Amino acid sequence: MQQERAELRCRSSSSGAASGQTPGADGGAETRVQSCSCILAWSLLSSVVQASRARVPQGSPAMPLLEDVVLENISWVGEEAQGNESSEHAFFSLDYQHVQVPFEITLWIMLASLAKIGFHLYNKLPSVVPESCLLIFVGLIMGGIIYGLNDKSPPVMDSDIFFLYLLPPIVLDAGYFMPSRPFFENIGTILLYAVVGTIWNVFGIGFSLYGICQVKAFHLQDVSLLHNLLFGSLIAAVDPVAVLAVFEEIHVNEKLHILVFGESLLNDAVTVVLYKLFRSFCEMPAIKSVDVFAGVGQFFVVGLGGVLVGLIFGMTAAFTTRFTKDIRVIEPLFVFLYSYLSYLTAEMFHLSGIVAIIACSMGMKRYVEANISLKSHTTVKYFMKMWSSVSDTLIFIFLGVSTIGENHEWNWPYICFTVIFCLVWRALGVLVLTFFVNRFHVNTITSKDQFIIAYGGLRGAICFSLVFLLPDFRRKKLFIAATTVVILFTVFIQGMTIRPLVDLLAVKRKRESAPTVGEQIHIRFLDHLLAGIEDISGHWGQYYWKDKLEYFNSKYLQKILLREYDQPKSSIVLLYEKLERKHAIELAEAGQLGHAPSHPSLLNNDRTVITDKKLEDAVNPDVLENIQEILARNLYRIRRTGPAYSRHTLPGDTEPGEHPKEILILRHKSLRVEVSGGDMTISRTEKDDSYSAQGDSSPQPKLCRSFTVGNAEKVREVERARSKSVCVIPPPQPRDMARGEKKETEKELTLEM
Amino acid sequence: GEIKKETGFSHSQITRLYSRFTSLDKGENGTLSREDFQRIPELAINPLGDRIINAFFPEGEDQVNFRGFMRTLAHFRPIEDNEKSKDQNGPEPLNSRSNKLHFAFRLYDLDKDDKISRDELLQVLRMMVGVNISDEQLGSIADRTIQEADQDGDSAISFAEFVKVLEKVDVEQKMSIRFLH
Repeated sequence: MQQERAELRCRSSSSGAASGQTPGADGGAETRVQSCSCILAWSLLSSVVQASRARVPQGSPAMPLLEDVVLENISWVGEEAQGNESSEHAFFSLDYQHVQVPFEITLWIMLASLAKIGFHLYNKLPSVVPESCLLIFVGLIMGGIIYGLNDKSPPVMDSDIFFLYLLPPIVLDAGYFMPSRPFFENIGTILLYAVVGTIWNVFGIGFSLYGICQVKAFHLQDVSLLHNLLFGSLIAAVDPVAVLAVFEEIHVNEKLHILVFGESLLNDAVTVVLYKLFRSFCEMPAIKSVDVFAGVGQFFVVGLGGVLVGLIFGMTAAFTTRFTKDIRVIEPLFVFLYSYLSYLTAEMFHLSGIVAIIACSMGMKRYVEANISLKSHTTVKYFMKMWSSVSDTLIFIFLGVSTIGENHEWNWPYICFTVIFCLVWRALGVLVLTFFVNRFHVNTITSKDQFIIAYGGLRGAICFSLVFLLPDFRRKKLFIAATTVVILFTVFIQGMTIRPLVDLLAVKRKRESAPTVGEQIHIRFLDHLLAGIEDISGHWGQYYWKDKLEYFNSKYLQKILLREYDQPKSSIVLLYEKLERKHAIELAEAGQLGHAPSHPSLLNNDRTVITDKKLEDAVNPDVLENIQEILARNLYRIRRTGPAYSRHTLPGDTEPGEHPKEILILRHKSLRVEVSGGDMTISRTEKDDSYSAQGDSSPQPKLCRSFTVGNAEKVREVERARSKSVCVIPPPQPRDMARGEKKETEKELTLEM
Repeated sequence: GEIKKETGFSHSQITRLYSRFTSLDKGENGTLSREDFQRIPELAINPLGDRIINAFFPEGEDQVNFRGFMRTLAHFRPIEDNEKSKDQNGPEPLNSRSNKLHFAFRLYDLDKDDKISRDELLQVLRMMVGVNISDEQLGSIADRTIQEADQDGDSAISFAEFVKVLEKVDVEQKMSIRFLH
């Protein structure tokens, strides 16, 4: 009966322990066995923890022996307790069976989390070896230990568990925090890569492997074309989990990240269709061309159906949160429940669950965030990150555990060619597709980017689960072996080498000498300039559709899905109030001095000192280095280069999130002074000179006023359409505040997206 | 026709930029004011946002028409190879390296004295750098910048000196946007 339970246990270990050290008695065997397994699990856990703390993961065989001795004692006690049961009530009893399943699940999760801590204790390790590799390694060790202890294959990761429990949190996390602006800007490219690229890969790998099978020397005659295509369909898909894990470390620019990542998420639809198609073909006696067309049609159904299901659930979630004002505590729950439901529903109809959950989270995010309280918002973020992190870790560990064992049939030519073809076809696919993409798009994908896209096509756990789901036929083990090798290869070799390669490729264009301070400043200046011009010229957006969507949104959706239009105490309003208070205090204290240093005389002294020492400083390398360091640390980053999405940190927490706020605050300050100062001559360095350069500064505020009041309706519309939490614009306040606020709102939204 | 000749954009590029111009022009009067620019959200958090906007407006005016819009954007057209060897007799195209640099120079040099003084540099630096840097540090950075570039000893960066500082930088590529063809 226990055998039919989920395979996630150390069941084999317990039976192994029993067979290893049976003292003989049968009556107390059950409890002894259970206590053995418990102790053994703890010993494994502790050995791994010790291993990771010692920074060299290796099994320590010494520990279990010690534990065995303890084991004997406890079992003896247990037996005694058993023996005395008839006469008196036992003080100490062990009922492991009762808690077995949750206990073991928790132990696994605990192991995963402790392993993660262990890695980060040693700072340099994650930068050399990506975390996923380390986790697989730990899994391998665990699998090895289990295998070594009882000579049986360790528990294999159940596909159901993977698809139903482990995968959804990761995908939800990805979809919720997906920066939607870059995503939709590049949606065409992403779709092209996901759909056409995957199909290309599948057929390429399938056919070429079939060609290999024809070679008599490899003894692979019996692997039919259909089998090869089936195998190709599951191995061709790029895996989001693996991609995420590796791209985390290498910090490529936003666009590249979104391309690879978006592709890995969306190719699920194609994978699902092709896999099911080929599988059903395998079982059908004859294949008609009608079936092929049905397959093509099914693809559209799967993809679009997934999107539809996701959107329905997303809108329902948004609608539900409209009414949760009085029960704030369960608000985060709705986010998770609806997303998970959308996934399950899509899977139920054999649609693409991943696409559904992404559509759901992206669709509902905007409205839900406007409706739920700030604390619920934080809760949602944290829980999502936590769950996806745990899932991620568990997947990799299980991957490692499952590779050890006797599930494999090694046929070296097939396996080697599989790996080679995966690489080759992916590279070819990327090249050809990029060629097309670059013809129609403004922002070209450079060859370095292409290399990263091709090389970053990692396979991961999805392939692994799919291969276990295959119907049992003669060559299944061969496929399992090949899949395992490909996954290990991509994760380990490609994962580890991608960062050095990226650096190498980047360094090639770098110059030999470090840029001088002046150059650095000017270059950054030019970059900002260019970003601004690009924004002005509408370089980035496909504004037509965006405007349409905004219009639709503001007219219909917001009325239905948002709770109210004026929500006090949003972060924007809080910031505004804080700024007001600060300004009032400043005015009261020091007249017109705001940002200037508190002691002007000191500043002057320093200045004169500096100018005197100017020549000396010139040759002083320390000062130079100091300056370089200051610049490197403090220059505002350009919009494009910051990584927008990071697994381990919440968006908005990292430094780049603070810069726009600072910029806006600075501008706000200068504007305030300008407005209230009037004709005061202010010699602060941070005053925004563009206003003074026009001579009379007073027309500026007037213009702004006319802008806000005259187009008040329009402004409010725009604002509502874009702000995550709209605040009522207090009319009597100065108009620049409204403008600054609006920008801040918009920017905060796009930042958080 | 004229715009095409003056700026060097192709017909389709001009059409596309015109549609962008009209989408920005909310007042629909054929010209853009500063507010129209300021409505672009990304510009609000660009440290140089206001200066860039100003660069579009001719001296003392508050409205820019399409021609002026295109003229400014023309500076950022990439330099094509067939243009490099064109005749040197005609007026220099707007997107030549020299003109690009001149555009950037003008953003620094607000009082238009053809020099970037220490104060002007400080202002730009302050805009580009976070609030964690004290004024003294910023001052020393500015001093160093000027000192590296200054060759005629006037404690300011003239245009020629500016060009010299950036001679190792691929300005053509850095200051070009590939507009849709």
